This record gives sequence, C-alpha cells and structure tokens, in this order.
Amino acid sequence: MNGQPTVLGKVIAFVDERVGLKTLQAKMLNEPVPGGSRWAYVFGSVLLFVFIMQAVTGVLLMFYYVPSADHAYASTQYILHEVDYGWFILSFHFWGSSAMVVIVFAHMSQVFLWGAYKKPRELVWLMGLGLFGLVMAFGFTGYLLPWDQRAYWATTVGVEIIDEIPVVGDFLSRFVKGGPTPGQMTLSRFFVIHVMILPAALMALAGLHLFLFRKAGPAGPFRGSEEELKAKTDYFFPRQVWKDIVAMGVVFVTICILAFIEPVALLEEATPDPGDYLPEPEWYFLFLFQLLRLKIFAGEFGQFIGAVALPAAFVLLLAALPFLDRSPERNIFKRPLALISWLVVTMGIVLFTVSAIVNREFLE
Amino acid sequence: MQPKLKSKVRCADREVGEVTRIIVDPLSREVSHIVVGDGAGALERQVPAAQVQTVTEDAVHLRNTASEMAQFPAFKRDDYVTIREVEIAHLEDHLHVEPGEVLVPVPELERDVKRRTFFTNFTHAIGVLLALPLVFPVLKYLMKPMYAPFDNRWIKIGNVKKIKTDDIGVQFKFKKNVKEAFMPEAEIDKNVWMLKASPAVLETVYKGKDMEFKDPTGQVVWTNKRDFPYVVYSGKCPHLGCGYKWRSHKLLGQVFLCPCHLSIYDASGKVLEGPAPRPLDPLPIRVAANGDVEIIDVEYKAGVKSQVRIV
Repeated sequence: MNGQPTVLGKVIAFVDERVGLKTLQAKMLNEPVPGGSRWAYVFGSVLLFVFIMQAVTGVLLMFYYVPSADHAYASTQYILHEVDYGWFILSFHFWGSSAMVVIVFAHMSQVFLWGAYKKPRELVWLMGLGLFGLVMAFGFTGYLLPWDQRAYWATTVGVEIIDEIPVVGDFLSRFVKGGPTPGQMTLSRFFVIHVMILPAALMALAGLHLFLFRKAGPAGPFRGSEEELKAKTDYFFPRQVWKDIVAMGVVFVTICILAFIEPVALLEEATPDPGDYLPEPEWYFLFLFQLLRLKIFAGEFGQFIGAVALPAAFVLLLAALPFLDRSPERNIFKRPLALISWLVVTMGIVLFTVSAIVNREFLE
Repeated sequence: MQPKLKSKVRCADREVGEVTRIIVDPLSREVSHIVVGDGAGALERQVPAAQVQTVTEDAVHLRNTASEMAQFPAFKRDDYVTIREVEIAHLEDHLHVEPGEVLVPVPELERDVKRRTFFTNFTHAIGVLLALPLVFPVLKYLMKPMYAPFDNRWIKIGNVKKIKTDDIGVQFKFKKNVKEAFMPEAEIDKNVWMLKASPAVLETVYKGKDMEFKDPTGQVVWTNKRDFPYVVYSGKCPHLGCGYKWRSHKLLGQVFLCPCHLSIYDASGKVLEGPAPRPLDPLPIRVAANGDVEIIDVEYKAGVKSQVRIV
C-alpha cells in the first residue's frame, strides 16, 4: 500500500476502464432510501433471491427429469430415491414455489398498505401484477411435471376452468392441453412453458419492474415530514442490503427446514382413474377450489362467475387501482376503504383455505 | 433561474469568488446549497440556497456581506458523492446547472434528411411483412394435436354378475389402450359407474326416450334403449372433471358424491346438491349373452349444461 498498484488492482482498473463497473456499482448501491432502510422493504429482494434459487434447482432437476408420459414419473422417482441429494433439490424446488407465493403476497400487501402504487409508480404496480400472474402460472404448470395423481388431477380441474371462459374457452383449453384430454401433449406443453417461456417472461418483466422502480425511486414511509425523512434517509447499501440479506437467509433456512421435515413424496403414477385419491390443488389455489363449492357458484353460469368472472374482475380491479385511487394520501390509517378491503380479502383467503382443509376430514 | 457552475458570486458589498459546486437535496431534488470558492483552491464555503437573492446570467447575488461569509461552514468533500455515483430518480429533469451546453456535431450525412417518418414507417412495415407469413404456420404447428376424431371403440369393462342389488352404484375399473402422437401405445386406468336400474330410475335417466350417441357428422353410433336395465355413467364428474364415488350420505342416503366440489347425484344421475350443471353422463352400453359389458368411452365437456362430446 505504498502507492504501488498490485496486479489485482491493475486487473480491476483495466476492466473498470472498459466496463465502468465502479460507476455502475456505485449507482446500484447508492440509492437513497427515503426515511431509511426498513424490514418492510425486504420482500422484493427476497423474491429475486428465491427466483434465482428456483432457476438453479430447476436446472439441476432437468439433468434427470424426462418430460414424457411414460418416463416423467419414473425419472422424478429416480431423482427422489436414487440420485444423491435429489430428494433435497426437488423438495427445495417444491417448497421454494410455496415461498414464492407467500412472499409475493407479502410484497403486494406491503406496496398496497404503504400506498406505494400511487403516482408516479402506477407502471411499477402493473408490471408487478404481471409478475404475480407469472408466479401463479409457474405454480400451475410445474405442478403437473412429476406426473403423479396429485399432478394429474390438479391439472385436469385447472384446465376445465380455462374451458369456462366464454367464446375462446374451448380453443384455449385444447391449446393448453394439446388435445381434448390431458396427456403427453399437455405434459410437453406445460414443460416448455414452465422451463422456457415463463422464466424468459419473468426475467424480462422483473427487469422492467426494477428499471421502472429505480426510475420512479422508492416511495418511502407513508408519514413523517420532509425534514424527518431526510434526517433518516440512508443508501440502499449497507443498511437495506443487510436487512435484505438477513431476510434471504431466513427464507433460505426455512425452505431447507421444510425440505428436510416434509420432503416431496409422490403418489401413484398419473392415470384418469383417481382411485382413492381425493383431488385437490396446491394449497395456494385451495381458496379458489373451496369457493367453487359454494352454492351461489352452482350451474353453468354460476361456475363461470366463480371460476372466471370473479378472479378476472379482481385482477382487473387491482390493475385499475392506481388509476381509480388518485388521492395522494398514502397513510393507510387515513385510507379506511383500502385497509378494510385488504383485511376482507386476506381474511377471505385465509377463511376459505382453512375451510377447505377442515372439509377434508368430512370426505374421509 | 438556477445558479450555474462558474458563475461569479457577489455579496451585498463585493465579489467573493465563484460557484464551484452545487448541492442538491435528494428528496426535493432542488438546489439546497451552493459552494463558493475563490477559484484558487482555497477554502470553499457551503452557502444555503436561501441566502441567494437573485441569479443573473453570469452572477449569483447573496444577501449577506463578504465579511459574513465566515459564518458559513467549510465545504467537506467527503460528505458528498457526485450524481454519477448515486441514483436519484428524475434528478436531471430538475437540474440545469451545466456551465453552458456541451454539444456534439450531427454527422454530415444526417443533416437535412427528408422523409424520416416515411423511413420509420417503412422499417416497421418490413418487420410486419417478415413476421406475417409466420403467424399461420406457427399457429397450425401448435394446434396440430388439439382436435382428434371421436373414439367409438367398444371396450370390455367387466361382467354384470358383479352387480347384486338394483339401483346401487358399482364401480367398474378398466384398462384403455391409448396411442398418442409419437408415443408407444400405452394402457391407462379408467373407471365408470354402473347400476342395474329399477324402472323408476330408468324413467328418470331416459325420460321415456331412447338415447342416441352421435359422431361429429351427426350419424348415430349407438342407441341406448329406454327399457334396457343396465346404465353406465362416465366416471368424469360433469362439474369440473374429477372422479366421483358411490357413498352414503347422512341425509340423502346412498348417492354419487364428488369429493372435489361436493356435487351429489342420485342413482339416476340427477343432481341433488352441489355445483354440478347437469346430471351424470350415461354412456353407450351393450351386454353380451354371457353378461360381459362393453361400453364406448365417450367423454363430454365438464362445466356446461348440455352434453358437448370431446372424445
């Protein structure tokens, strides 16, 4: 350190001169967080982390997995029972998908409650909503791939719901299934959607989401004077990065523990006879599943309302939210309608999920 | 007008130097301080923007006198970063602090180019022309397996001897050979529910009419006679396609119950409770002299009031 640059220092200087890494790094890390770093802001980073882990474990699974109706089940069993640590990689991927859904919900709730979807962040919110759709599509398509009874029946019911869409439903459900009933073509299609189309779409949309977020800047807390905010403002690095890393660690360890305690176990190989299996979708679709048991959603029209119109209207409402709610007020305690809506939706989802689980006992 | 770099700084009594730097508030994105130096690298002082009285083209006028400059704190470079090293949204939109404009000449060939809009549109048009011929082949490519002809094969599912009592649902499991696209022929498990129906139940199923099964051309493939005592129902729940079971229900007695969305049907397939839009689907059935049962494994679309055949 006496003014003589080391070899490593020279290499870094050489690269930096050509790439501009230091400026880039400075720009990435020196983002002012108005009002200071908070634990509430960790969800976006954690989602990115979980997605990367899903991509890594997903690629590892593809080393053995074969997406064909006569080998999908056997190759998944091979991963689970023969390949060293295969059970762990697959279980991590499985629980990672659940983690993704939970954290997406937390992320959306945080943005909603903080009023961070309001001007000038409308497009950030819209891109986020698109990403939410992609995460659910990941869950739905990935679920079929092990080709066991659980997979087959969740898909069978799921694609029947696509069929309920007026006018284009028949075409769409055949297009997704690759035929009149689920089979090899369905598996091929879900596979390519799950491992190629959705990851590419997610990377593109997440990039746009992040770009627009950095362009608009973080929203910061919903109360406090400008002076107070300024006094507490810090950069993304190090305090927020530290909180993000801790949160990623917690999520990582949680997924690992779940993978250890409750590793993936397949049911019988997929076949159109359910046997003793009681078909059920993955837990994060359970509330919708339970919803369709209600009497008001009976019959052809009722089913259309429950399975298609209601979810579509809800997503459209979320999309329109920043354009309908134009008041600049961000304090959740001064937005009673928003607070009550969030509570009602959250409690509704919890209630329906729990009742679906309770209902299981009566079916035994 | 915003203070400019290199502008002269004049106090109420005399000139004290020039603007060497400008400090911006990251939240309001407005100029919060100007840094005043003598240009010779001597001590720089950080003057709040509130002290600025007026800004002219080449000078910044302060409210205080030159001797009062000492009250302002010395500028500490380490407390700041340049705007290249930090991301502040829309900062450039707010700031106009360059000491004049920095320009690059437009290349000779680009000057006075006419029909720019035409060329832009032309580029898009060519793009569309390149993509257009691909739409149809790609769509057809992806649609290849979507529509298959109906399968009118008779499949043996078992023997009527298995049925002991009238109007009780009995499950028949059977193997069906399927040949899908390039795949080797495979055997899949399927099931149907059969009953030996009493005349009352038959009446509800057939409503006094024979039941015809047609292929897409409208040609009748098979007719179930209304007085034929054996009825077989497709194993697929007409609600959303799950598999239902013959179960005893606390209030309704022996019924067909689907565990998915809790649709309940009686022995004649009629919906008693739950979300199902139509009764269970009877299938074409024939029984040989020795009691062997054969069916055509017709499949209808779930979720609709009328029967729409898909297999």
